[in-house]
Parts: sequence; C-alpha cells; structure tokens
Amino acid sequence: MKLGAIGMGRFLRVSSALVILGLIVEIISLLWFHPLSFVLFAFVGVILIGLGIAVYLVSLLFAAQQHAGTGGAENPFRAK
Amino acid sequence: MIGVLITLIVLSIVLASIFLVRPRVTEGTGWKIVAFIGLCVLPVLCIVLGMGTHMQRSEQRRFCVSCHVMVPYGQSLYLDDAKFLPAQHFQNHRVPPETACYSCHADYTIYGPLKDKIQGLKRIYMQYVTTPPNPASIRIDGGFKNAQCLHCHLGARDFMENPVHSAMMGSLTSEQMSCLTSGCHDSAHDIEQLSGAKLWRPGQ
Repeated sequence: MKLGAIGMGRFLRVSSALVILGLIVEIISLLWFHPLSFVLFAFVGVILIGLGIAVYLVSLLFAAQQHAGTGGAENPFRAK
Repeated sequence: MIGVLITLIVLSIVLASIFLVRPRVTEGTGWKIVAFIGLCVLPVLCIVLGMGTHMQRSEQRRFCVSCHVMVPYGQSLYLDDAKFLPAQHFQNHRVPPETACYSCHADYTIYGPLKDKIQGLKRIYMQYVTTPPNPASIRIDGGFKNAQCLHCHLGARDFMENPVHSAMMGSLTSEQMSCLTSGCHDSAHDIEQLSGAKLWRPGQ
C-alpha cells in the first residue's frame, strides 16, 4: 500500500492514539508503586509513545513528499 | 517532581486528543508547530522525565521491600543488635534510611545504575516467570564487593587510622580480601536469625 493512499489525517489519528495510550500507561505506572510499574513503563508505555512519535515523523515525511510531488498545490489533508 | 510530570503528561494528552479528534487543524502553520510539540517534543520529555522518576523511585527502600522475597531483608535492618552491619548502618543513619538498600548494593561504576536496573529486571523475571527463590538462599552475583564499602569508608578518618585496616589496605582495595567474608565483618543480613530476634522500634 502506498503512503499516499493512507492520508495525512489517518497518520495523525494513529499517532495521537498511540501517544495518548502510552501516556495513560505512563500515568498508571507512576501512580502504582510496585516493581512491575517500571516494566509497564519501559516495555509498554515507552514503546507505545515511541511508536506514536515514529508514526508522526513518518507523516511529516509523507506530507513533505506529497507537497514536493504536486509542486505545493495539493493539500495532503484533502479527503482521498 | 511527580506532580509536574503528571501535569505535563495530562497537557500532552490534551494536545494529542485535539489531533485525534480533528487532525485537519494542522493545516494552519501555527497548529503544525503545536502538533510537533504535542506529538513529538512533549512525549519525548515525558519519557525522559518518567525514566528519571522511575530510576529515582527504584532507589528507595520501600521499593526494594515491595518484592515479597525482600521483606525479610528489609526487616533485618531493624535488628536490635549492633553487630549486624546493615542494621547498624541503617539505624544510625550511616546511609540515608530511605535509600538504605541502594546505598550499599549499588554498583558505583559509570554504567552502575544501568547494571543495577538489568539485575532488577532479572529478579522480576524470576519472581513472575520462573520460581521465586527462597529469601535465605539469595546471593549477590560475584559476591559483595569491597568497593561498595570503600565508596564511603575509603578516606574516612576512623577507617584509615584503624591499624587493622591500614595494614591490609592494598588487599582491601584490590578485592583480594573481602570485608565481609574474611571473618572481620561477617554479620550481614542473616535473615535465618530473624524469627524471635529483638527488633528496634523507632521512637520507643
């Protein structure tokens, strides 16, 4: 599947959802005083947040590519 | 610290929620910057501060004794007998009481905190995946290093001026002779002796 078929809005939604989930996991890990809370933070929270950031950065690359491909005329947010 | 971090996390969640519900707001230049802050800068900051908070928290005594197998080791700090080294250090505040375990069991090297954390993860694995060990059978990998004692005692006047210590300083610093197992300071936690032992109750 080409990145262009996915759409910038979808990328942002997925990225936001992953970041929010990761941050919620981080809050739980901070409020839970237990040795497993570090495991929860490091192996669930950080991975979710990291994935969210990665998806966001990919979306920036996709937007830049699309912008360059259309000579700046096409808005990557327009519905596909 | 934890309050600031939670505030930052909530702020990040609020910002990320805007882009979850209305991703098209990022069409505006200003919102592009907000999106970069909300989906990249703040989450990275939350990870870094969260890692720092968890590392600090894992240095606390109550964190160590929150594992069942460590409970008797925590109790041994209250033994009412000056010959037990950990109890003596803890009760007389020779180590910070809140970080008593970490003060003596940390690996004081450049990658020490990382090594300690990996050791901790191995213990969590043993606790939850394999069979948890009998508390009395727990031994430190490679034995208790003199470096952990010398980190504080080396250079201290009463330690350096003690003729027994000064006579064997080379052997102690090179780890040829152990502070604990050479017969000089061999009463450490000894949790087998806990049952029926008199315990110190602060304030009584």
